Amino acid sequence: MEGDYVIETRALTRRYGRKLALDELDLAIPCGSIHAIVGANGAGKSTLFRILLGFLAPTSGESRILGRDSQHLTPADRGRIGFVNEEHTLPRWMRVSQVTAMQRRQYLRWNQQLFNEVIGHYHVLPEQKVGALSRGERAGFNLALALAQSPELLVLDEPTLGLDVVARRAFLESLLYSNVTDHCTVIYCSHQMEEVERVADNLIILERGQVKNISAPDDFRARVTHWVADVPFKGPDPRTVPGLLEVQRLDGLHHYLVLDQTADFETFLRASGARDVQCMPVSLDRAVNAFLAKNHAAPVAA
Amino acid sequence: MWDLFKSEALRFRGWTAALAGVNLMALAFATRVEDLAQQRIFVHTAFAVLYAGLGGLLGLYQMGSYRRSSQWLHLLHRPLPRTRIAGALCLAGVIQLVVVVALPMVLVAILQETTTARVVDLRHWMLPVSALLVAACGYVATAFCTLRGPLHAIAALPLLWWLPFSNAYGFGMLAVELLVLGWLVLLLLDAFRPDPAARPRGAGAVVLALSLQMGAYALVMLLFVGLEMIWIAQGSQPGNTATPPAGGHNEVAKLDPRGRMLAALAGSQHPEAALLREQIEHADPESMPLPLPALPQRHELSNFRLAEFNDSRRHVRWVFSHDDMRLHGYRLTDGIRHGMLGVGEAQSAFPSPVAPVWVRRVSLDEDPWLTSGDTLYKFAMETQQVMPRIRVEPGEVVAAVGVVGQSTAVISDQALYFYRGKRLEPGELLTARIRIPMPGKVGDLRSLELVELADGYLAAFVYSARSGGPTGTVPFLALLRTHDDGRIETINRRALRFDYPALYRYRAWWISPALHAVRETARNLFAPPLPLDATDPAPMPQGMRILAAMLALLSLAIAAWRTSATALSLRARLMWITGCGLGGLPALLSLWLMVPPRVRG
Repeated sequence: MEGDYVIETRALTRRYGRKLALDELDLAIPCGSIHAIVGANGAGKSTLFRILLGFLAPTSGESRILGRDSQHLTPADRGRIGFVNEEHTLPRWMRVSQVTAMQRRQYLRWNQQLFNEVIGHYHVLPEQKVGALSRGERAGFNLALALAQSPELLVLDEPTLGLDVVARRAFLESLLYSNVTDHCTVIYCSHQMEEVERVADNLIILERGQVKNISAPDDFRARVTHWVADVPFKGPDPRTVPGLLEVQRLDGLHHYLVLDQTADFETFLRASGARDVQCMPVSLDRAVNAFLAKNHAAPVAA
Repeated sequence: MWDLFKSEALRFRGWTAALAGVNLMALAFATRVEDLAQQRIFVHTAFAVLYAGLGGLLGLYQMGSYRRSSQWLHLLHRPLPRTRIAGALCLAGVIQLVVVVALPMVLVAILQETTTARVVDLRHWMLPVSALLVAACGYVATAFCTLRGPLHAIAALPLLWWLPFSNAYGFGMLAVELLVLGWLVLLLLDAFRPDPAARPRGAGAVVLALSLQMGAYALVMLLFVGLEMIWIAQGSQPGNTATPPAGGHNEVAKLDPRGRMLAALAGSQHPEAALLREQIEHADPESMPLPLPALPQRHELSNFRLAEFNDSRRHVRWVFSHDDMRLHGYRLTDGIRHGMLGVGEAQSAFPSPVAPVWVRRVSLDEDPWLTSGDTLYKFAMETQQVMPRIRVEPGEVVAAVGVVGQSTAVISDQALYFYRGKRLEPGELLTARIRIPMPGKVGDLRSLELVELADGYLAAFVYSARSGGPTGTVPFLALLRTHDDGRIETINRRALRFDYPALYRYRAWWISPALHAVRETARNLFAPPLPLDATDPAPMPQGMRILAAMLALLSLAIAAWRTSATALSLRARLMWITGCGLGGLPALLSLWLMVPPRVRG
């Protein structure tokens, strides 16, 4: 494995009994930018993070983070990696000022100015107890702490989960205004596609423990197209539709979401009896959801 | 580390203060009612269990709250070595236990020392240390169990079990407690890693494997206890049948004293057997007080026996002090200091710790008797003096006193002595009328019946006190007769049958001779043998050795098969196979718990 990558995995596999969480995962995330990792529940995101941070051993394969074997991270390595989880785990019994002072002493590259900037987005008082903060304030405080550590890699694992619209917006703004990518690579894990669309430079889709896509979000969105066809009969057999992600029949029109199809797809539809065909772009949310829903487990009889 | 320590101290400060207050009030109240320092060992054991439980709850809550995946990640993913993080948490936990457990005890001891005439010795100042160590053991043990999960939790079981079953006392017990705590800390530190469920490697693996083997051994012992309960409930356990097995030691134990003497005579070919039978039937045999409680040992933390007695005339309580080896008195009416007692007029220090002896049917004058080493003393209430009255052979210790007819009988750890008279008036040291070397070891002695004859004594010994286990002797009865001219005759000696099968008696051994040896070594670590514990173990049946060898071979074979299906290195495999060959089935069980089969890709 070479340098220049903040995260590298090779044939990384993790089993829980008979269940395969990571399936010979090969992943290389370059330095810089904000990389979003998305995937359905059970896609292996949490397992991947736990292995990368050395909290879980892989069944087989290799994983490196900031060039270091993730199973042998030193305290200094951990100082280079920030981590913010969905629960914004912080000692609830301590005051904001006490937690800040503790982190300041532990992290040698502590950036007080950045902390002040980020925390300025929230109405958090130093004398407040962490347990008394609202969920949004706690998320902001946690982000401020993580950014002030001046990490080389910042992992944000569902950081806005459970936040209301206002708190979510405040969180994203504080993240974007911090110019975090000037000195740090961010891994942003979320189910909120509008957030991903807004912050991410790179979209990584995980499915069943394997990487299914690495590209810019717009590039991925461009791969998925929405075709509306007026087919008088029942239409082509879905098994014969190339790149089919999703098919619906609404008001007598067939709606096809397909992956990696060009103008030839119109030819296919017309050959299948379509009288009128229209092609439309889709949102990233719809594209990713259709992509992920394609292989969802379903009862055998369905 | 200091920040984390402060954070943890801050987290529990409210509970710590509240529990310390409750403990202080409870101890202060109990001290008003009783002298807590002078309680028997079971009272102090109850306190130890309580404090260990308190420590255990702290460990369970503290580590349990961090064990959730997100909390654990937040705790350990920081630029600090994991051992320092663990150290900060544990130090905070121990400091909390100091405040909750040890500090109230010290305050109560200071209160007792400064405001009362009660005895507070060095050993009593050690009690808070012992209580703290026990509580810390409970804390670290549950912290380890919480991190490692239920399968590996049994590794802490033998260590906690070691504390109440250790034979150590005094500073030796403190050393055992420190050792247990140290071992538990090693287990905890190894478990305190980003992935606590991961199989440890290197020294950590060895420490965990040894602990798990002993834990599995302890589990098997618990299983045997359960099986015995079923055996008892089912009604065929020899000690609990309506009619004990014929010819066995339980049958003799359930006889009355006369019956036991007659049983000891049964089958005798002695020419005077018929005459002796008649005398026994017409006499009123006296039973010596058995089993013998442990003798007090200097600087023992608790009391094997109570070391105090009351002067009923002056309403004074005399309490023995291990520091100056003298008795200290205070008035029961107002608690005022009454004085100090040593040996004789010179008030010399006693050579060994003192224990009062209760003698049935002898204390006509109510003057208490005291044992101390090889000497039996009498405290004269009238003169307020303690005078030696009986001294057994040098090197022996007085174990019990009784009265038979018009004589006093004294048991030492090696012999039975008879003295003329039963009131032991003040005067010179009494000379024994006769000394009978005991026909067995004192630890095996289950009962001793005595009859005074016209020209001597008849003594029926039953040796079966520990014949239900591996350390006991082959049970037997012995009837000895003395004559006034000094002759000692063995009238009869008759072997009794073991009531329990060898499989039961040696169950702790055949299941794993090596782990049994470890257990016995641990139990006797820092524990000089006590004279009254001496036994003459029966030879082990060959069948038990064969059984143990077969089980060891079976374990070895299964371990070889099992380890072939794991990802262990060749060296680790060989170590496990050897370990299972030595440790037997418990070691095999620990292999199952510790090493998962290889995951098939």
